[in-house]
Amino acid sequence: MLRIQRKLLVVLLVIFSIIAAGCTNNNNSPAPSNEAGKPSNENKSADKEEDKGGGGTGTAAAKEAPMLAKLAADGTLPPLAERLPVQADVMVEPVVDEIGRYGGDWTMAWTGPGDKWSVGQPTEEALFRFNKDGSGVEPNVAKSYEVNEDSTEFTIHLREGMKWSDGKPFTADDVLFYWEHMLTKETFGKAIYDAYYSVDPVTGDKALATVTKVDDYTFKVVHKYPSVQFLERVAIDNKWFFAPAHFHETILPELVGEDKALEIAKQWGFEDTNAFLKETGYYYWLYPQIPTLRPWVAKNDPNGDQFIMERNPYYWKTDPEGNQLPYMDRIVATKIQDPSQRVLGTLAGDFNLSTFGAQDFTVLKENEKKGDYRVITWQQPAWMTSGIQLNQTIDDPNLRKLFQDIRFREALSLGVNRTEITEIVTNGIADPIQASVQEGLVGYQEGWADQWSGFDPDRANALLDEIGLTKRDKNNFRLFPDGSDVTLTIMDSSEESANYTELLKKYYEDMGIKTNVKLVDQATLQELKYSNQVPVSIENISVVNVAYRPDALVPLRVLTPWYGLYGLYVSSGGKEGIKPEGDVAKILEYWDQIKAAGTTEEINRLGDEIVKLHMKNQWVIGYAGPTPTLIAASNKMGNIPEDLIWADEFRSLGAAHPAQFYLKP
Amino acid sequence: MLQYTLKRILLAIPVVFFISVIVFYIIQLPPGDYVSNYAAEMSVAGEGFTQEDMAAMRADLGLDRPVYEQYFIWVQDIVLHGDFGFSFNYNKPVLAVIEQYMGLTLTVSLVTMAFQYLVAIPIGIYCAVKQYSIGDYFFSGLSFLGMATPHFLMAVILMFLSYTWFGDPLLGLFSAEYVNAPWSMDKAIDLAKHMVIPVIVIGLSGTADLIRVMRGQMLDELNKPNVVTARAKGLSERKILFKYPTRAALNPIVSTFGWSLTSIFTGSTITAIVLNLPIQGPVMFNALLGQDMYLAGTWLLFMALLTVLGTLISDILLAWLDPKIRTEFRGT
Repeated sequence: MLRIQRKLLVVLLVIFSIIAAGCTNNNNSPAPSNEAGKPSNENKSADKEEDKGGGGTGTAAAKEAPMLAKLAADGTLPPLAERLPVQADVMVEPVVDEIGRYGGDWTMAWTGPGDKWSVGQPTEEALFRFNKDGSGVEPNVAKSYEVNEDSTEFTIHLREGMKWSDGKPFTADDVLFYWEHMLTKETFGKAIYDAYYSVDPVTGDKALATVTKVDDYTFKVVHKYPSVQFLERVAIDNKWFFAPAHFHETILPELVGEDKALEIAKQWGFEDTNAFLKETGYYYWLYPQIPTLRPWVAKNDPNGDQFIMERNPYYWKTDPEGNQLPYMDRIVATKIQDPSQRVLGTLAGDFNLSTFGAQDFTVLKENEKKGDYRVITWQQPAWMTSGIQLNQTIDDPNLRKLFQDIRFREALSLGVNRTEITEIVTNGIADPIQASVQEGLVGYQEGWADQWSGFDPDRANALLDEIGLTKRDKNNFRLFPDGSDVTLTIMDSSEESANYTELLKKYYEDMGIKTNVKLVDQATLQELKYSNQVPVSIENISVVNVAYRPDALVPLRVLTPWYGLYGLYVSSGGKEGIKPEGDVAKILEYWDQIKAAGTTEEINRLGDEIVKLHMKNQWVIGYAGPTPTLIAASNKMGNIPEDLIWADEFRSLGAAHPAQFYLKP
Repeated sequence: MLQYTLKRILLAIPVVFFISVIVFYIIQLPPGDYVSNYAAEMSVAGEGFTQEDMAAMRADLGLDRPVYEQYFIWVQDIVLHGDFGFSFNYNKPVLAVIEQYMGLTLTVSLVTMAFQYLVAIPIGIYCAVKQYSIGDYFFSGLSFLGMATPHFLMAVILMFLSYTWFGDPLLGLFSAEYVNAPWSMDKAIDLAKHMVIPVIVIGLSGTADLIRVMRGQMLDELNKPNVVTARAKGLSERKILFKYPTRAALNPIVSTFGWSLTSIFTGSTITAIVLNLPIQGPVMFNALLGQDMYLAGTWLLFMALLTVLGTLISDILLAWLDPKIRTEFRGT
């Protein structure tokens, strides 16, 4: 381990010196400026006001990107007015700072098609999206909605005249088609989302919603029981509650026949229909053939060295002055093979908007001026940066009893010097606090951050003695009363955490608890979780609101380490796994009440109760507070908000509405 | 000689078959499979996978069948249809993936190889002829350095130099504007520019190696009686040098030529990752990491095949180059 670290250090040193040396030369770097020069020239000539007279395409030309104006003038594209929804239904996207200008590329790094979400999230257009502080949703693809008093009927209006990126109209039929032929038939590898089920508060009966078309631009979702958070749940579970019917009609086995579907799949290069339907139905934004509603649409094969998305000529949003968005012409994602190349590319100015974890803070900040970019920090709703989760249902009966003992968790919490961890692991960025909900988020609890957060080895040892781990072996490690070893095995899949886990090992062993760190690959870790073989994990907990995405805090499935097989018990309906007891059972009760709750206040109250149980039990122990996500944006790029929350629930960078980002000349 | 060649080819068939079994077995060894890997990757990106989702995916990909059955289907398709299976990662047939990267891989490898031979052989000859001269010490020292320096470190250093001198670390094989552009003069020049570092880095240790081998062989040959006789007969030094010792000294280089066949087709791996080169090495590496088993399996099999083939080619080349070996063939 140490040797590897030293090697890394050497490599890092070299890279740092490259960076330092490289940046002094940044001004005469020819390649990037050449590249940027070309499009920006075009921009100048097509500047809004000037073009009005010169272009000869009338007022419409002033409101669309020069590259589209040219096509429209040629007659290749219909004029802008025909491409946008009817005037009243155009969505006006507020700009963050100022009205932007057209042109330029958003250049970024990605690791290939496996990295699909890093282009997927920023370009996503949801039916309803979260508002800025994440407290609720607002219509996006939908124009508006009405809901009846007991939250069983949702009438959703679409935008008249809105079109897919190939120019075909987007109507309620696309929603109905998606619902009837894809979602409820489970064609794309996902089960029907929970959001579409409502629960009877009394009997717990689960009922699937019905979806009906009212007219071309209106549809209705009817639940049997009240579903207060339906829109929020859809915004989390099923961002796109629609699909281009005219495209999927031509490939779905149900409509074209199994054989024909397989033949089409083969033509696309797929081996079997299921994989094909999953890719086209779920990861559709990677395929140029499939029309979307996104600001940029795929232009080439994502398996290449450079994936390009180009502006959608039929995009249905404008800025407040009526200019059709997006401002930037393209997204150019260059394939990288190592994360350090993302840093290097950002410092060299090759990538003008990229996101990083807090570990890159120092190197990014040091070169901010030379690299002509700025580092924007977005808060993450994480509970911590470094911590541990103790598997409450681990196989070994001795360990299980120990992990379930609250005194043991207190001892592990007190026996670690948080100040040292934050300094070493997070460069002092994080606060030395307990794993807890941050202030400002749903579920924040006064004083939680300081619970058991001091460094008190004496008390920790006293607690361990009190539990009965008084016997010691010849190496002075503690033994169970029956004489067997107390060994904590920390499992992780990333070597990046090595310096942290080594520190943990030291603290734990100082308390007399033997600790092993086991590094396994991602897939193995996944398998081990399913077979209940992960006693201690250092995974983080990140949750915006337990009611939106419960599985980190409520044992509903397997993958979250702290609840282990409790989750399997719930997801298998009691057939497998271990029956939750005590406070974990109480969490599940609260969760059932949330599902059937009638008002938002009630949901928030119940969510708060769940969080309080976590505070009381501290199944997840944190040693360093959360760190922000870093966004390194070229100083030329404008309209990037600086005060958002980075959460998967809010679609990460997508929360900033990248369609209104623009490049200054 | 024809008979010998035929015999060798026939013998290769069971060897390749045996290798395919081992390859498949090795790929199955690590715990987990492509699906668990994929699910883990996606859950990092925030997309949840339930056990049912994973089971369904396994069934779709045929990963729920027993290993021997999977192996059997794989081999059957190869033999009957020339179909090497499907790459899960790329959602493409394996051959299409390999084809996608083959052009650039071959370009980089062949240029690297040409660089190696063009640089190493003359230097090797020079070092032998002027043994213990300043030049000899210089090149020998350099070649030891070249052999001892790890590739990736060299790559990082050269990137650093390129960055300080030209303001571009020259990552990848093309500048951003040329990646998807059709072939043109400018694109070719851009490629040539980007090839400098990989060719030097990948070629360096091979070059260093070759210099040592060439020098040693030449030193052996230089004092052979045939050389002395030729000199006594008054042939010009240059003619002697190239006609006799050089030709003989090439033997070991030619006999190892076939082994480099695999590296020609895969290109390097670690260096390619550091330099972000779009060639086979990293593709293969990721296939192994992600347990994209048919892609990885095909590659391993392919490499094994190339090694077998390479050895064969080496033997035939040797027979062609060296009259002594040729006569031995004829004798039998």
